[in-house]
Amino acid sequence: MSKNDRIRKRQVAQGLESHVDEAAKLARKLGLDPYPVNYWIVDHDEMNELIAYDGFQKRYPHWRWGMNYDRQRKQRQFLGGKAFEIVNNNDPSHAFLQKSNSLADQKAVITHVEAHADFFRNNRWFRLFDEGASYGGVDGSPTTPGSGPDAAAMLASHAETVTEYMNDPEIDREAVEEWVDHVACLDGCIDQHRAYRPTEEWERESPETDDEADTPEELAISEEVRDEVFDEEWREEHDPGEDALGEKDLLAYLAANGRAYDEETGRAVEYEEWQRELLELLRRESYYFAPQRMTKVMNEGWASYWESVMMTGENFADDDEFVSYADHMAQVLGSPGLNPYALGLELWTYVENRANRREVLEKLLRVEGVAPATFDDRVDLDEVLSLLEPVPEIANVVDHLDELDADDPRVDSDGLTAARDGEFDVDSYPWKVLSHEGLVERHYSLVQPPNRGFLKRTTRETLEQIDRYLFERDRYGSVREALADVEYGAGWDRMFAVRESHNDVTFIDEYLTEEFVEAGGYFTYEYSHRQDDYRATSTDPADVKRKLLLQFTNFGKPTVTVHDDNFGNRNELLLAHQYNGVALDVPQAKRVLERVFELWGRPVQLLTVVKEVDERDVKAASRRGQEPEPEEVGVRYRYDGDGFERIDVDREEWPPLSVGAVGYDTKPDEWLE
Amino acid sequence: MGLREDLERFREVGEQRRQDLAEFIQYGDLGASRPDSVKVPVKIVDLPEFEYDQRDMGGVGQAEDGEPEPGDKVAEGEPDDGDGDGEPGEEAGEHEYYEMDPEEFARELDEQLGLDLDPKGREVVTEREGEYRDIRRSGPASTLDFDRLFKSGLKRKLATDFDEEYVREALRIDGWGPARAFEWAREERVPVSRTWLEDAYDDIPADERDRWRSRSEMESNVEQEQTSTRIRREGIDSIPLRREDERYRHPETIEEKETNVVVVNIRDVSGSMQETKRELVERTFTPLDWYLTGKYDNAEFVYIAHDAEAWEVEREEFFGIRSGGGTRISSAYELAADLLDEQYPWSEWNRYVFAAGDSENSSNDTEERVIPMMDEIDANLHAYVETQPSGNAISATHAEEVERHFRDNDDVAVAYVQDAADVVDAIYTVLSTEDTDE
Repeated sequence: MSKNDRIRKRQVAQGLESHVDEAAKLARKLGLDPYPVNYWIVDHDEMNELIAYDGFQKRYPHWRWGMNYDRQRKQRQFLGGKAFEIVNNNDPSHAFLQKSNSLADQKAVITHVEAHADFFRNNRWFRLFDEGASYGGVDGSPTTPGSGPDAAAMLASHAETVTEYMNDPEIDREAVEEWVDHVACLDGCIDQHRAYRPTEEWERESPETDDEADTPEELAISEEVRDEVFDEEWREEHDPGEDALGEKDLLAYLAANGRAYDEETGRAVEYEEWQRELLELLRRESYYFAPQRMTKVMNEGWASYWESVMMTGENFADDDEFVSYADHMAQVLGSPGLNPYALGLELWTYVENRANRREVLEKLLRVEGVAPATFDDRVDLDEVLSLLEPVPEIANVVDHLDELDADDPRVDSDGLTAARDGEFDVDSYPWKVLSHEGLVERHYSLVQPPNRGFLKRTTRETLEQIDRYLFERDRYGSVREALADVEYGAGWDRMFAVRESHNDVTFIDEYLTEEFVEAGGYFTYEYSHRQDDYRATSTDPADVKRKLLLQFTNFGKPTVTVHDDNFGNRNELLLAHQYNGVALDVPQAKRVLERVFELWGRPVQLLTVVKEVDERDVKAASRRGQEPEPEEVGVRYRYDGDGFERIDVDREEWPPLSVGAVGYDTKPDEWLE
Repeated sequence: MGLREDLERFREVGEQRRQDLAEFIQYGDLGASRPDSVKVPVKIVDLPEFEYDQRDMGGVGQAEDGEPEPGDKVAEGEPDDGDGDGEPGEEAGEHEYYEMDPEEFARELDEQLGLDLDPKGREVVTEREGEYRDIRRSGPASTLDFDRLFKSGLKRKLATDFDEEYVREALRIDGWGPARAFEWAREERVPVSRTWLEDAYDDIPADERDRWRSRSEMESNVEQEQTSTRIRREGIDSIPLRREDERYRHPETIEEKETNVVVVNIRDVSGSMQETKRELVERTFTPLDWYLTGKYDNAEFVYIAHDAEAWEVEREEFFGIRSGGGTRISSAYELAADLLDEQYPWSEWNRYVFAAGDSENSSNDTEERVIPMMDEIDANLHAYVETQPSGNAISATHAEEVERHFRDNDDVAVAYVQDAADVVDAIYTVLSTEDTDE
């Protein structure tokens, strides 16, 4: 980096210092609890590098990062280097700001980053990795309980380890790279819902699954006796599916039980030390990154929500920056397709409104004489909304500075004194004179223009639902009295609770509404065999939701588990695709199987269900104006190091069906013309 | 950062990976390529994962202005969740392509399949205009070699130029006159004429004619100025451009041997040709086209679609067309014969005639008309590619009949493609048949 460059970066950094400090304070006052964030100023190319490395400065050597970088560079050439935020899950977090961004963009990025840092720190899925801490000695684990990961150090140490092995004259560099490739193919094959444990611990903890002695073939009895005692009926009852190992963490399983394939002797041999270490290292990275992959929609929506509160709600953007900020937001949220920012933001807004509405309805239903049946007659919602409006001095502190009372719990008395002494400009920092409670009231969602209809759209059903669990009825004499008791913080409190416990799947499942699907014009599409293209199939919100969930469940990938580690009593590894009605990409799965062979050292098999469509069926269905019904066939693919063999299997041998195996197909019975 | 190395390594891996052409041909996205540029998706470089079958997975899209409605086609590119940014472990929705030209493609395929097809047969001598090296004295104004004209003029100017003041001083030597000065000028190689000297002498006032007592006195007092110095000082007001200096440039005529190939692609587009069959034809024909483009200097393509009738189409339409109607394969050969005779004489063109379909044909057409025409049409190679995903229909015997009849010929190839996995074998069958041909 040239001297000029450094100076320029320092200038940018100095210009941002106060904004960074203020954003961190504002975030905390709003109720966020972020990791401390270190901000770095980087240039365009450094930004590309950081993105390629998933937000870190050092990663182990691998061509994949080069590929990411190449892609990133090309993509950004066309996007014109738009404001990019990158922040990593680290305690403290590191956020990178691009030197060339406008000040409005930098501010937006900073507010966005604070919210991400809060999410990293408080979402429980991120703790699954940190919990590895209790096993001591794991790189990247928090040094003190309760603090977050030191991921930058972990990844840097991984980089060193891999580099050392690559440079080791005793080890073939290509072999190291290939080994990394093999393992990386199973990147998503971990048990992301369980806490990370180093493989040794994992082995100790995992329930004893070795029940091979229970199968007739393992008993030391003659074949005749065996067939006599263990007849068909017995075997059916003891369906292999029930005995299946069902282990989802393939990487741990292989680390504990795998062998390398030695080409010279054609035999399975124990892993070399470096192979074992690299496998574990990559598995650890998978666990580290998994929470981010599980909470993409939530996390981006969360950051967009708080960014908007800070930037527009609290004047973090100056008046003249506001237009460019609004433009930037419109671009981010308006990008076509299923956009995690827009989806997440919508869902969070819904969470907030729903909780606030519930709070209001619970109060209203306690007014004497108000019940679901009489609600419409007794309650004027326009009046309710105007009663809920924040008081003027809170809504507009700038014009009411003199009227604020330092003893009001909604007022930050120190801030008020400082403002009155002219220590800062209240126009720019209105939030400084308010407490958290004040901010809660100031940002109350139900009275804001976009949400005003929310309360009015309350259905009788919702009222009855709330009413059913209500106690202390007839507590209030009037609507006004009831509303005076409304907790303005209900929405945000709920949001904080949801951000702690949910992941994308549960989040979408719980909060994606019909209204959202209809308003957004979302539809599902399916492939048409007859037309050989994709056809829109349904706008039914339930269909859209199921289809969406498919894209988020298990990272949007099929679940593959260890089914049997001694298949056919030949030490073959049998993996099972937990079939949920959607078929595997078989050519690709076969390529994965080739890699698994290298990690198992012996033949490997994959049990799945394929869908076959006969030309004749297509023809016949076409004549009826329908789509052909594919035939589902249970199949085992076996790879022995040389080639593949396909074995069709009977229904009894099918892979275990995954729960909710039905319903991803949204094709109508009568295919629409 | 180590990223530079990662990038370099990625390029290397990419290079290795894109050699895996068989996979690309069988399963890759051929649609991104053009006839002159083969684009192998870099995605293939990426590591495999357990993933859902894209088609079976379907997806969620967002309508614009109420479009599309259920039943409508979803716009191209929609089958993507639009999640384009780099999330850990996720790949961007965009495809990247590794581009290679057809020559490289042909080389790679040769290597991979162990082919060694030399473009044999007719080599045509063509006259090509080379660079403008040939110089003539006449020609169109635009080809006038002005540089050369100017240089000639300048040379002439230099040749006739002299330091006039210096020569005038010579005329001022006591006792000299034009005659003596002329002798001196010849001696000194000053390009001055006697007439000029005489005129100049007349202009010199009489009292100046004895300024110098001797030649040596003049030469030691007056400095002769070099022409180049003078030109640099004064510039050139006029260069004598003469007609006789004009030269016109003409292109060199280069005689070159060039290999020409015409590939006739024939496809059955009748009702029985379902989508899968069409796709298999495209998978087989497209790489053949690339290969031959890469092998020959000049490749041209003719696309013929047929049901019971045949018509010529553009490449863009060729693989997509569907029609109703029956099937009469000979119609295509009739059209091919006409087109070849008119535009691609056998004396000048290597010819490949590739036909594909599901082997269904109207009764007796194969034996009575197609086979005789295949015999009749001169070509390096005739091929028929049967694309029949679900085994043979009983009536579909065209391929077998052709194969039986031409069993002993080495310029007819018949290949069977049941699914994408057979495509590379089919290509090998076709190209290796030609290989052993001559």
